[in-house]
Amino acid sequence: MIVGALALALGSREAAAQPAAQGFAFERAYPSAPGAGWIVMDDLNIPDELGGALAITLGYERNPVVVSGLAVVSDALHADIGASIHYARWRYYVDIDTALAVSGASGLASAYAYTAPSLDPSGHPDAITDVRLGADVRVLGQPGDPLRIGAGAQLYAPNDNRANYTTDGTFRGVIRALVAGDHGHFTWAGQFGAHVRPLDDSPTPGSPRGNELVLGLAGGVTLCPCARWGAVIGPELYGASALRALFGSSTTAFEGLLSARLEQRGAGQRVRIRLAIGSALHHEFGAAEWRVLAGVELFGHAGS
Amino acid sequence: MRATAVGFAIACLLASARAYGQGAPPAPHEDDAFDFMNVLADRHLHDLADEAWNAYGQFTYITSFKAPFSPPYTNANGAVNSFTPEYERGFTGTFTLFFGVKVWHGGEVYAVPELISEHALSNLHGLGGAIENFELQKTGSVTPSVYRSRLFLRQAFDLGGETSTKSSDPMQLGGAQTSRRIVITAGNFTVLDVLGKNNVLGDPRQTFFNIAFMAHSSWDFASDARGYSFGATAELYWDRWAVRVARMAPPQNPNTLAIDPHIERVHGDALELAHDHELFGQPGAVRLLGYRNRVFSGRFDDAIAAYEADPSKNAASCPLGSYNYGSTNFDAPDFCWVRKANVKVGIGIDAEQYVAPGVGVFFRAMYSDGQSEVDAFNSADRDLSFGAVAKGVLWHRPLDVTGIGLQLSSISNEHARFLAMGGIDNFIGDGKLGTRGAEGVVEGFYSVNLLRAIWLAADLQVIWNPAYNADRAGPIVIPAVKVHGEF
Repeated sequence: MIVGALALALGSREAAAQPAAQGFAFERAYPSAPGAGWIVMDDLNIPDELGGALAITLGYERNPVVVSGLAVVSDALHADIGASIHYARWRYYVDIDTALAVSGASGLASAYAYTAPSLDPSGHPDAITDVRLGADVRVLGQPGDPLRIGAGAQLYAPNDNRANYTTDGTFRGVIRALVAGDHGHFTWAGQFGAHVRPLDDSPTPGSPRGNELVLGLAGGVTLCPCARWGAVIGPELYGASALRALFGSSTTAFEGLLSARLEQRGAGQRVRIRLAIGSALHHEFGAAEWRVLAGVELFGHAGS
Repeated sequence: MRATAVGFAIACLLASARAYGQGAPPAPHEDDAFDFMNVLADRHLHDLADEAWNAYGQFTYITSFKAPFSPPYTNANGAVNSFTPEYERGFTGTFTLFFGVKVWHGGEVYAVPELISEHALSNLHGLGGAIENFELQKTGSVTPSVYRSRLFLRQAFDLGGETSTKSSDPMQLGGAQTSRRIVITAGNFTVLDVLGKNNVLGDPRQTFFNIAFMAHSSWDFASDARGYSFGATAELYWDRWAVRVARMAPPQNPNTLAIDPHIERVHGDALELAHDHELFGQPGAVRLLGYRNRVFSGRFDDAIAAYEADPSKNAASCPLGSYNYGSTNFDAPDFCWVRKANVKVGIGIDAEQYVAPGVGVFFRAMYSDGQSEVDAFNSADRDLSFGAVAKGVLWHRPLDVTGIGLQLSSISNEHARFLAMGGIDNFIGDGKLGTRGAEGVVEGFYSVNLLRAIWLAADLQVIWNPAYNADRAGPIVIPAVKVHGEF
């Protein structure tokens, strides 16, 4: 019994001596702006007319933060609610992510002590994570053109608690160059930019390392160019890599999604239903082992 | 456990309901007031009469000033809950967005994120039913925080009758409705969005500042520390009659943010019967409201009995890990020794009557059993309030609002005895209670509209017998100002 107590005490001392990892915003699949078509990419079909969109997206991801086999964040369920207004090529939007459940395992990994998040609707009934404000502009090309070029910026205002792995606890931003186009039944989009991220928790494994490169590419085909509804299906690939260790194995995340969207066509306010399932192509740095997303969007503009 | 949490989260999302921090639902927007939806409609970009979606917003900043008063004592016997006597300034700032989407015939989904920053007078301690600012969230701080106040589904089933217009408002899509219908609301919201509404009092952000006029002070409605919860309500409208029932989840511990999801075991139920009428050509309504809470709480008698049987079961010696209010009083009883599933009931009446265009009077009263501690709202067991609210129609400023009201609240004998022994009932407890008195507040305000979208309001409150303690009678004078905008 005494030996056991000593062992326990020594073990506790060893655990207490470990540097403790802090939480951070682990999400890698930043949803596109409401009305932007794709799940992550932006179709840049921003009309000149006044209009807008309301969107709700429900997402679940499995094992987005795993450090040396320890699933610090193993399950995350969230609802993302956004609204946008567009006019004269510009889109402005606000995006609010509600963390419904985030859980994982605590323990030691790579000589660091990790405390798992424990967020559920009963304990945190009204949790909202970082609030995203964004603006996108279509610089070249018209909606439906084979090549459209644009740019976008997003500001994340910190909210919630780092211990929940839902926020960095600091303001951060993303600036992006956007491209998109349509060729008959084929549609595509891409992005390239920087995630301006003040949080640098190096050398803590799995944690942010400051500013990041973000990039992505999507392509799809229109399966049913019907009069009332159209369906687009195709892959979306996206990822991020810390600039200070660009494309390093532990500082790069890549994911792929197979996304499908069913869009109402015609005039007035329309509905878009979005579904996606995907997995990590490089399972590090916040890339989820797999994830599913489902969303509904109401969009339209004057004269549509 | 994980599956339970995820399942509950999905259930909550799918069965979303509406809630509102500390309170009442937003008021309908005046047709001639500025707002984003009116702008779209004026440009023929949106159909207010048949909405598929809408979006509204509001911001409100209230600052209150507490004039010094001279009570004979403050925080006796190591208590920390007295309303402090020195000069102090408090404030709240809120910013809210209201999104609504029609999802199918009769089905509407609403999402309401909200930001709050606040500092309460006396750290929110020391007042029973007359907290000076209804916006004060029990868990807020000066650092702004954003939270989801509501996410709910509302489903209406038409049963016939006369068709009327449903205006486009925050948390209400414009459209048509029948006089006979059933409306189900489910998800994350506050029960005050559905029950206990008084049209004369309306949205507190446009009328009285004091929480006393937001709802029955002694209706301990189930909610988290911000005033929201998960649950469902059902409303049956039959011409001039309405019946409303609600079941909401209570907090895990009194006045905490964590909600107890086991709504089958612990819950706050409410039943309201309402009748609309016309008196001398002016509209009015009478509502009877009853509630029954079955929540994890402590009874005053039980706490006193436990202490008297064994003085070691006092407020300063609560078992490790038990929920308590941090009292250091070894001579006071505490709920930490006796909390279990207890029932609290109450019944009240609410009446409103317009006496001229835009001029209405109101009356509210409720009697609760007063046997157990406050679980989610105010430390009050009975309340009575009345007053008048007038819009400036008569003096050609129709968007101005003014009002005057009085509220009295009191506590049960058991409650008073518990406080007299030095006990703490969450926000009140002066360490002793010599002479018990009804806590009262009289309030008057005038709100000036500017640019059809902004209201500047001046307000004066006089409060006496804070925490039902006539030995610390006051009066306490609290002037306040408010800036409120809607868009």
